[in-house]
Amino acid sequence: MNSRYRVVVYQVLLGLAGLVIWQLLSDAGVLDKFFFSRPTDIAARVFQWLVKGTIYPHLMVTLEEALLSFVLGAALGILFGFALARIHWLAALLDPYIHMLNALPRVVLAPIFLLWFGLGIWSKVALGVTVVFFIVFFNTYRGVREVDPVLLNNARMLGASERHLMRHVLVPSALTWIFSSLHTSIGFAMIGVVVGEYLGSARGVGYLISQAEGVFDTTGVFAGMVVLSTVVLVVGRSVNRLERRLLRWKQPQADAGGEQVA
Amino acid sequence: MATAIHLEGLRKDFPTPSGGRYTSVQGVTLDVEAGKFLCLVGPSGCGKSTILNMVAGLLEPTEGVISISGQRLAGLNRRAGYMFQQDALLPWKTVLENVILGLTFRGIPRTEGEDRGRTWLARVGLESFAASYPYQLSGGMRKRVAMVQSWIVNPDLLLMDEPFSSLDIHTRHKMEDELLQLWADSRTTVLFVTHDLEEAIALSDEVAVLSAGPASRIVGRYPIDLPRPRNLMDIRTEARFTDLYRLIWSTLREQVLKSYELPV
Repeated sequence: MNSRYRVVVYQVLLGLAGLVIWQLLSDAGVLDKFFFSRPTDIAARVFQWLVKGTIYPHLMVTLEEALLSFVLGAALGILFGFALARIHWLAALLDPYIHMLNALPRVVLAPIFLLWFGLGIWSKVALGVTVVFFIVFFNTYRGVREVDPVLLNNARMLGASERHLMRHVLVPSALTWIFSSLHTSIGFAMIGVVVGEYLGSARGVGYLISQAEGVFDTTGVFAGMVVLSTVVLVVGRSVNRLERRLLRWKQPQADAGGEQVA
Repeated sequence: MATAIHLEGLRKDFPTPSGGRYTSVQGVTLDVEAGKFLCLVGPSGCGKSTILNMVAGLLEPTEGVISISGQRLAGLNRRAGYMFQQDALLPWKTVLENVILGLTFRGIPRTEGEDRGRTWLARVGLESFAASYPYQLSGGMRKRVAMVQSWIVNPDLLLMDEPFSSLDIHTRHKMEDELLQLWADSRTTVLFVTHDLEEAIALSDEVAVLSAGPASRIVGRYPIDLPRPRNLMDIRTEARFTDLYRLIWSTLREQVLKSYELPV
């Protein structure tokens, strides 16, 4: 057995041990079931959701919102990132405002977005966009600004026009930064929309969790969290794969080839 | 013979962080005949690269005139190729795509460009690496790709800024040999910057010595009358080579010592 599989085995064992201890403590009455629920109950609830199909419409809504906020946020981030990196006076002008907006905790925006965009998906998308935008924006900005001047000069000496520089040097350079932040931005898109759902909606995984919380159904809350984190994990794995494909010209890192595990 | 490069009274100032001005080079006057291989040598920090960047049009001189084949240079030097000291290959493009970059920029059709690129890669023995990415190549291979990248567009003038300084000594001699072969076939004018006097003598038709900075200027010009084609593996032990080395080193030595005296 190679070391990579051994790690996976240990990872599974660690998780199982945690669950067993939780289960035993709940059964023994050390942990109050009302507050802490039980792994078997949570598993049963998740299973029930999956079999009855009650979870799917909520999950679809959450994924749809996350995807929309990712696409919109990334598009805006790339646009602004390029504009500010290439137009220096614009960057100087907007600098304090961008940092002010980025420093704002997104949760406080949720009620305002609810007022502006209603209870439907768009208020959640808006919240997700505010998170994704800044991640992509800062990475694009850095990618364009920190491109090696030697690469630019070399391309210029080889006869590149401004358009050529954009297409062959600046965009690919920025893309590497954006791709390497895909993981983070998609994860944050999920968090953004779930927070939005949690604070006010009629559908979605966040709504499910908040409903369960409203009736002190801790099993429901935990089941919602399990579904959510599993989905984020699966999405993250596929993004990893995508990243490796897109950045295949990069020197593979030590952990490359972990696909067999996934 | 026509004059390929004409520099007259060239001066370049840079602003210093403390708000002052630092004069890198001053009063640099130099003519290079078309088809000649000229090496600029000097102690480190003497502004060799500054002169090269001005000839490339990447830097604007504070004072003085640059003419390329009789035409005054304004903006980027479109007749020149430039081989940088650092790695300048685009990491996200394959070897072949990198080689034909200049052809792509000139709007040459892809298939034609790729054919020409493959021919050039074959000349430096890298045809089997066409589809590799730069990170998969050794330092010497990357330099070969960079060299072919600047030759493929057939520039009238080639500027080289210590292109082989990062290579080990044997790879370096091999690359110098390949460079001279390419040059012999094309007879492009070459302006080559180095701090290595041996390299300068082995390659060039003429060596120009720059003084220690600030305000470097040319303090000596030495024609190199070694016969061509040259055998770079053995040339360093030939009597004429060592004579030239001793002669030029007497000038360069003084400048190198001076460059250590000055607090920078």
